[in-house]
Amino acid sequence: MIHKILIVDDSPVSRKMLKSCIPKDREYQFVEAGDGLAGIESFKKHQPDVTFMDLTMPVMDGITALMEILKYNESAVVIVLTADIQIKSINRALDAGAFLVIKKPPTRERIQGVLSQAEAVLRKKS
Amino acid sequence: MNEISQIFEIVNFGLVILDSELRVKHWNQWMARHSGIDAERITGAFLLDFFPELKTPRFLRSCKMVLAFGNFSFFSQKLHHFLFPFRPDGAFKSMFEHMQQNCTLGPLRNDFNAVNGIFLIVQDVTELASYEQKLVEMNMKDGLTGIYNRRFLQTRLSEECQRHGRYGAKLSLIMFDIDFFKKVNDNYGHQCGDSVLKSVTANIASIIRKTDYLARYGGEEFCCLLPQTGLTAAHRLAERFRHQIEALKIPCQSHDIKVTISLGVSELRSEDSEEMLLKRADEALYSAKSSGRNCTAAIA
Amino acid sequence: MNDTQISEDEQDILQEIMNIAFGQAAAELAEIINIFVVLSVPYIRMIEAVDLPGYIQTEFSEFGNISIVEQNFWGDFKGTALLIFPAGSGKELVSLLDDSPAAEFQYSDILEKETLMEVGNILIGACVGKVAELLKDMVTYSPPKVIVEDHPDITMSKTLFDPANSAIILKTVFCFNERNVHGFLFLITSHKSVVWLKTALADFMKQYE
Repeated sequence: MIHKILIVDDSPVSRKMLKSCIPKDREYQFVEAGDGLAGIESFKKHQPDVTFMDLTMPVMDGITALMEILKYNESAVVIVLTADIQIKSINRALDAGAFLVIKKPPTRERIQGVLSQAEAVLRKKS
Repeated sequence: MNEISQIFEIVNFGLVILDSELRVKHWNQWMARHSGIDAERITGAFLLDFFPELKTPRFLRSCKMVLAFGNFSFFSQKLHHFLFPFRPDGAFKSMFEHMQQNCTLGPLRNDFNAVNGIFLIVQDVTELASYEQKLVEMNMKDGLTGIYNRRFLQTRLSEECQRHGRYGAKLSLIMFDIDFFKKVNDNYGHQCGDSVLKSVTANIASIIRKTDYLARYGGEEFCCLLPQTGLTAAHRLAERFRHQIEALKIPCQSHDIKVTISLGVSELRSEDSEEMLLKRADEALYSAKSSGRNCTAAIA
Repeated sequence: MNDTQISEDEQDILQEIMNIAFGQAAAELAEIINIFVVLSVPYIRMIEAVDLPGYIQTEFSEFGNISIVEQNFWGDFKGTALLIFPAGSGKELVSLLDDSPAAEFQYSDILEKETLMEVGNILIGACVGKVAELLKDMVTYSPPKVIVEDHPDITMSKTLFDPANSAIILKTVFCFNERNVHGFLFLITSHKSVVWLKTALADFMKQYE
């Protein structure tokens, strides 16, 4: 079961948009970070079940942060949510180990679908 | 027919509406008149089947941009001359083989604001383009002789000098004038003087390469700019000029006029400015004059 | 805060919309017409229109000579787009469009100018079009114009820089990765559009409440 969700994105608006798309039927706990480096720290500290990761961010970009997180916990579920949807960028994120890459802006249907997919995978693992 | 449809047929420019597959939905009178293809025949057909010449990367890209982004796309006469290969309308047939056009492509949307078609406007700018072409020519050519004028020479000269600076390309200049030209005018009148100028330039123009530039520099003074040419070759060419003119008989009224020319040759040096090149050619010409005329002098 | 000013929150929303719009534009340009362009995260600021020429001048002082493609767009979102390249970029961009120009234009200024116009038209259309789409607006465009400046000493039409207006400047760096050409895209909207923009931004965010 997903309890804790980490959102790594430098834009507060973007974080708000994403949160509004996450179903309200369950009590999720949200943790937010504004850049890749802060994201890694939050991940280690809070051990989220699912992480949403932006790609273009100051301090440390999303791909680097994604790889660091997977180095720390290879079964981490990191979903990349990005405006940079060129095939090359999507492939780079997938190669780095992203669970899924979805394009901005997020929609309720898409996020709900992604979360159920993640949940299925997490259940199998446990 | 509603008012808008009437206007569609009346307007004095081409209007075409295409669906997202580039099939013709509407083809106005103007298009029918200039293409010789009636609306009934082309409606429902793929535009490119009727005009395979439109199958260019640029046109296809424009259509994609209109459909995907709602972009507008412009085909200017300046670069493209025309989109549809129509005959020119009316009196301008001589200047252009095809009607010169400015064309615009843009999106048409359905009720949900989604792009589902393309409009295409074709404007006939042949008249404007021919005026422009005449102006351009007037601006670079000498009215009497039809060779380039001094202004054009200056522009070419500085461009060629830049090229020399960048790529080390050779560049030479022949400056020449007609010996005792004043006497031609005094003895035979100005009309004959003009004939002499025309014959001399036409003669020389016929023996230079396409890449050389012959220009009228002053009254009876001329320059010939020779890209990719060193001093020796330029000197040889200058001598050909001289022999050619020496042998020339110019008929005017009842006379056969004979003239000679004096020539100065110079080559661009690496540290040179364009003024220096002109100045040395002028000095060479002066020394040719002072050593008896009808000869060539060169300053490296 | 009056209604021709953009609040910080609104600026953040606009930033995010631009981000999404430019991301889509870049992806579709690559997919649809094989032009690979990298657009940086746009930078937004409000500026008095009268300060604009000076602003552009300082921004590009290190560019030396510049070429500007100017194109107007009309919709509820209305303004001018400026694409600024270092001079000579047109030559580099010719091969970006896989057209084979007529021999007479192979190395001419006309070809360089027209290439800048075409690339400008494509970039501006894609970027503005996507922003308009996200904000449910519909825009039309004027034909692009190319201004080649000997130095970034901008002299532009007075109407664009109406001293009574404030302008929103949206700046993004773009770069054609295979061509090593980069430049700046500016969108300048008059304060008339700002009133509409504020409503459109609020409407956009309503779906995320």
